[in-house]
Amino acid sequence: MELLLQQLANGLVIGSTYAVVAIGFALAFTVLRVINFAHPDIFMVGMFAGLLPATQWPALGFGIALLAGAIGACLVGFALERTVIAPLRGRDVLMTLIGTLGVAIALQNGMALIAGPDPVAYPALLPRLFIDIGPVALTLRQIVNFVICLGLLGLVSLYVRRTSYGRATRAIAERPDVAAAFGVNVSRICQFTILLASAMAGVAAVSVGMLYGSASAFVGLLYGLKAFICMLVAGNRYFEGVMVVGLAIGVIEALVTGYLSSSLRDAAAFFVLIGVLYFRPNGLFGSYAT
Amino acid sequence: MTALLEVKGLAVSYGAVPAVDGVSLEILPGELRVILGANGAGKTTIIKTLFGLLRPRAGEIRFNGEIDLLRLKPHQIHMLGVAWVPEGRQLWNTLTVMDNLRLGGFAVDDKALLERRIEEMFERFPRLRERHDQVAGSLSGGEQQMVAIARALVSAPKLLLMDEPSLGLAPLMVRDVFSLVREINSMGIAILMVEQNARQALKVAHWAYLLETGRIVESGLAAEIGNKESVQAVFLGGHA
Repeated sequence: MELLLQQLANGLVIGSTYAVVAIGFALAFTVLRVINFAHPDIFMVGMFAGLLPATQWPALGFGIALLAGAIGACLVGFALERTVIAPLRGRDVLMTLIGTLGVAIALQNGMALIAGPDPVAYPALLPRLFIDIGPVALTLRQIVNFVICLGLLGLVSLYVRRTSYGRATRAIAERPDVAAAFGVNVSRICQFTILLASAMAGVAAVSVGMLYGSASAFVGLLYGLKAFICMLVAGNRYFEGVMVVGLAIGVIEALVTGYLSSSLRDAAAFFVLIGVLYFRPNGLFGSYAT
Repeated sequence: MTALLEVKGLAVSYGAVPAVDGVSLEILPGELRVILGANGAGKTTIIKTLFGLLRPRAGEIRFNGEIDLLRLKPHQIHMLGVAWVPEGRQLWNTLTVMDNLRLGGFAVDDKALLERRIEEMFERFPRLRERHDQVAGSLSGGEQQMVAIARALVSAPKLLLMDEPSLGLAPLMVRDVFSLVREINSMGIAILMVEQNARQALKVAHWAYLLETGRIVESGLAAEIGNKESVQAVFLGGHA
């Protein structure tokens, strides 16, 4: 029972990170009809952008690192949107897929050139502290990571449901032509959507770097794959569905690690994907027709 | 009087296939004009081109005599005071009725004004007030058409483009929709409607165009055009 609760907690912590990266994927895919393969590497750039102030000026603390992560990721997201996504949007989905994949490769290898191909140590921005919640023991960093990611998810949910721009975002997702004909500046909202997804990924990345104590130029791959699976499993109809699936995949992985074998962990998400798509090809919560 | 909308020699193709071929038409402020045509005649293509959603191969589209619509993006065309009731309603089905109406007024900067206009729509369509919190996809066809019309009206347009508003509705509902069209027009909003239901459409319209395979083959006063043989043959079930 204790193991179960502990693994559930561990799973929610990592799952919340998957959910944040997945929601960035889902926003780009649903709103722009773009599979943004550079998104996981924008996450990676965010991680290194936060590393810079954290190692140079550790006294500035965690908040500045988060901010730097957001800004760094946003800058790359902005450049990507201007140079690759905007010119290719509306064309065949393969075009942006290949374009963003190219950017992804460039970002990975560019960062490997700057920071080296091996993982680098991430400074301990928060004290090493265990906190007991009933029978479950979590580190302060785990809790902070979970709170940050959940906060980001909550903000996105509020944004798409409660604000005028957010409503327009969902309107574009369902019917871009009609949205445009009702005064929505589709290009501008698409641009904002990429910036939002990038900023979120950047913040989450700094938090994850701190959680595991390391950053690597190739860290995006793992998160990208998991996040992509989350989006496919959930379907793109409800952003909240993607969030829930992100958390669920984290929990399933933690349970597999705890009860079966940690070497099976990374395969679990794929089994979930195959199982769900076999029975519900449009995802658990349905998808928009494209 | 300057035409509110003036279309000259409009030609639109899908790839090599011409859909609209040299269409000219106009609509004066406050008028109600109808384009009659069968499926595939090019009606929806005209509407989408007017809104900048399709690029024409040739032709001119002017608003208020001077504004060249072909240089504008759809959202800019909307800001001039053009609203759309699309074919098959095309509501945002995963959004609530209220959100659909708010999005209809996305370009209205004064949010208090928008809320007032939505309130007016609820006065006019009490059913929508009852269902304001439901997702639009769960409504009946008639209710959805009310949302589609209300969504277009909250921006207080000068020109309303209506694409087959009677399509897929129960006969009783069809009559209601056409009397609503007349009522909206009597508030001073110019309407360009495309329809297949010629009998009803000619009763409410001032002027009618007959569109066949992308060309306008007849045009005239709605009250007179119904007597023409070509119109009778195609739409009114006479002499066929």
